[in-house]
Amino acid sequence: MGAYIVRRLLQSIIVVIGVTLVSFLALQAGGDPTYLFVSERASAEEIEATRIALGFDRPLHEQYLSFVADLTRGDFGQSLSYRQPAMDIVLEALPATIELTMFAMLLALLLAIPLGVLAAINRGTAWDGSITTVSMLGQSIPSFWMGIMMILFFGLYIRLFPISGHVPFLAPMLDGDFGTAFSNLPRTIYHLVLPGIAVGTYSLARNTRLVRSSLLEVLEQDYVRTARSKGIPELRVLVSHALRNAWLPVVTIIGLEFGFLLGGVVVVETVFSYPGIGRLLFAAINQRDIPLVQAGVILLASIFILLNLLVDLVYVRLDPRVKLAGGRG
Amino acid sequence: MKSHGSFIRTITSGCLCAALLIGCVGQSDDDTIVVGLSADITTFEPGMISSRDNSNIARHIFGSLFTLSPDGEHIPELAHTLEITEDGKGYIYTLNEGLTCHDGEPLTAEDVAYTFNRIGDPENRFTGNAPGFVYTSVGFENAEPLDELRVQINIAQKNPIAFGLLTEIPVHCKDAYEQMSLDEAASNPIGSGPYRLASWTRGSQVVLEKVREPANFERIVWRIIPEASTRTAELISGNADIITNVVPEQVDAINESGRAQVQVVSGTRRMYVGYNLSDEHARMPGGDAIQDPNVRRALQYAVDVPTICRQLLSVDCERATGLVNPQNANPNLTPYPYDREMAESLLDQAGWPRGTDGTRFSIRMQAGQGRYVNDVNVVLAVVQYLEDVGLDIDLELMEWASVYTPLLRERSMGPLFFLGTGGGLWSPIYDMTDIAQVGSGTNYTHWSDPRWFDRWPDLVNTDDLDEQRGIIDEMLQVFYDDGPWLHMYFQPDFYGVSNRIEWTARRDEYIEVFEAALR
Repeated sequence: MGAYIVRRLLQSIIVVIGVTLVSFLALQAGGDPTYLFVSERASAEEIEATRIALGFDRPLHEQYLSFVADLTRGDFGQSLSYRQPAMDIVLEALPATIELTMFAMLLALLLAIPLGVLAAINRGTAWDGSITTVSMLGQSIPSFWMGIMMILFFGLYIRLFPISGHVPFLAPMLDGDFGTAFSNLPRTIYHLVLPGIAVGTYSLARNTRLVRSSLLEVLEQDYVRTARSKGIPELRVLVSHALRNAWLPVVTIIGLEFGFLLGGVVVVETVFSYPGIGRLLFAAINQRDIPLVQAGVILLASIFILLNLLVDLVYVRLDPRVKLAGGRG
Repeated sequence: MKSHGSFIRTITSGCLCAALLIGCVGQSDDDTIVVGLSADITTFEPGMISSRDNSNIARHIFGSLFTLSPDGEHIPELAHTLEITEDGKGYIYTLNEGLTCHDGEPLTAEDVAYTFNRIGDPENRFTGNAPGFVYTSVGFENAEPLDELRVQINIAQKNPIAFGLLTEIPVHCKDAYEQMSLDEAASNPIGSGPYRLASWTRGSQVVLEKVREPANFERIVWRIIPEASTRTAELISGNADIITNVVPEQVDAINESGRAQVQVVSGTRRMYVGYNLSDEHARMPGGDAIQDPNVRRALQYAVDVPTICRQLLSVDCERATGLVNPQNANPNLTPYPYDREMAESLLDQAGWPRGTDGTRFSIRMQAGQGRYVNDVNVVLAVVQYLEDVGLDIDLELMEWASVYTPLLRERSMGPLFFLGTGGGLWSPIYDMTDIAQVGSGTNYTHWSDPRWFDRWPDLVNTDDLDEQRGIIDEMLQVFYDDGPWLHMYFQPDFYGVSNRIEWTARRDEYIEVFEAALR
């Protein structure tokens, strides 16, 4: 397993470099970013001086290679708009997004499993029909629209939840300030409810349908029929025999889900004025703050790669038939 | 059904109790004023501040030598007098006594000189509004202390608007900034204004605390709320006292809420359709037609600007007769009326009759989107009006930051383009400076009429205000008759203001809450 992990990590370096190259070229394709950093009355000489100061006067390959060289030294460069180390700014925004993503994921999982099971064991009934219909609805509603509707209803009309903002929990935790973190926790959760639902609804709907279909497939298997014929109670058949095997596709999705949610919170973070990494990167892309975008992209890509690896490892634990290529399982 | 109702009531009551316990919903604090901004801020480094939102917060932290009143009057702030040397190249400010910075350091002429020179130091590579716009416009050379309270700012040549532009320089002390790195200075401002920075959560909010008068609130919370409907919801729910950039569609919702009102002010931003008259554009389809001032004048009658304002901006805009804000404009000029027949007739006379397909000439129009109030719809309406008089418009709508801005900086958009440029109330010459030279970066039209440009030296060099006014009116008449703009309107700015406070929006996009007070 060790060799497998090392090989996957080495592969991931290539992936990260590929990601940085693609994002670098995509940002450059929009033209010379210098113009965004000079005043409208700047003369040609001032524009040129700014271009040199920002390093955009160098050939593209030189700019990219110098960026990669700095990267190997752990230097992600300075944000062009904030004038501070790019990775520091990204890391500052990351805890808020992790809080939102974790909340949305927990919400999606905690509800998806019972709802999926309920639909599967009541196949063809009104329960099944209702859950499946609502799930399809959940997958169809755009998260930004849902966010705005929730703001109007829960924030404005019945004033149950805050409309926007964020109270940090993870950031003080990481700073070792546990007192602040835990005293913030109720307000953190309170502020997470609306954006968390907006982000998590799509996943909840998808996972519910996945659990349902996966469980239905397993419930048709011979070993489930055998278990039932042996007189094992239905609840035990469901939990010990069926659900355990139905987990495999769900685990695969959950791992990727976290990465998907991390990258997919941009719109919801904007709607709820949530100071996370999605909104930061969106603004950075608009401002063509290349070092900041690169730092964010590298961080998100790395998290995604690690999660993939983790999913593969968990998969082996859950299903002994699966062997890791290049390892002994 | 009964059990469902009971369940929902239980959940709702539970949430409400939790909300009350946590105490976050709709809470107002009499010592605090909350302002909701649409754009994030990036720095507190005086040399790097460039956006209006960023500058509005910084103005509460950093004082300036003189400032501009809402009417555009030049009034003292940290300094009480300004003398200009005989050659017009030295600006001598005398500071008030007893000034200090937020760390307690006395603020003297040496500190002011240090502030100005630090911003202008090329080693620091600052690219903000102060070095990139103010210093460039005034030809800043250096600043020197004359004694404890007098500081002299030296500029390259006589400049009739330098006094106003220098109000934009944020002043701070020397010792604190000498000890900080540039990185530290970007997030730890130690200013000279009525408020000091208490906390800054990037992307979320900035909290300022009162240091000295004038300041009616102990705290100002600037919240970053990019989404317009969320800002509106926060205002109506009582979580924000002032919000910027209300979209016209939400004006009624705010006014009918009973908790807030929208203040609409005619801004100083001049919205127009520009004609790019460069040689390169003259060779493009339609580029030759707009070289003729008669064609440009004909098109002034073709667009129904008041209807565009009422239908798309929900207000009666202040119409433009040129590039100068109304209070400084030539009083003899009136906005061109909408008169389609006149437009058609003038186009016929100019030698551009309708062809067999009804088209007079084809021309490309370019516009950025997402920058100005309802800009895309305004552009579409303009295109429709121009097509009604026989033009065939090839419209290109572009992403503002990455596509349109580079064209703007290279002065290569057009032949027709839609734009809004910031102006001021304090000097007509400031508004006219956009087109100070044929080659200046803001003469996006490449207009080169000698009746305008030959008068510029006279305008700049005269000290006789009556003579100056005469030259201005003469130049504005030329601009009105044969200029390179299709004059539209001054952009209305929409602010949402809570009923709990007394505050009046300014026309120049400055947001100052020093004087705001509880009702």
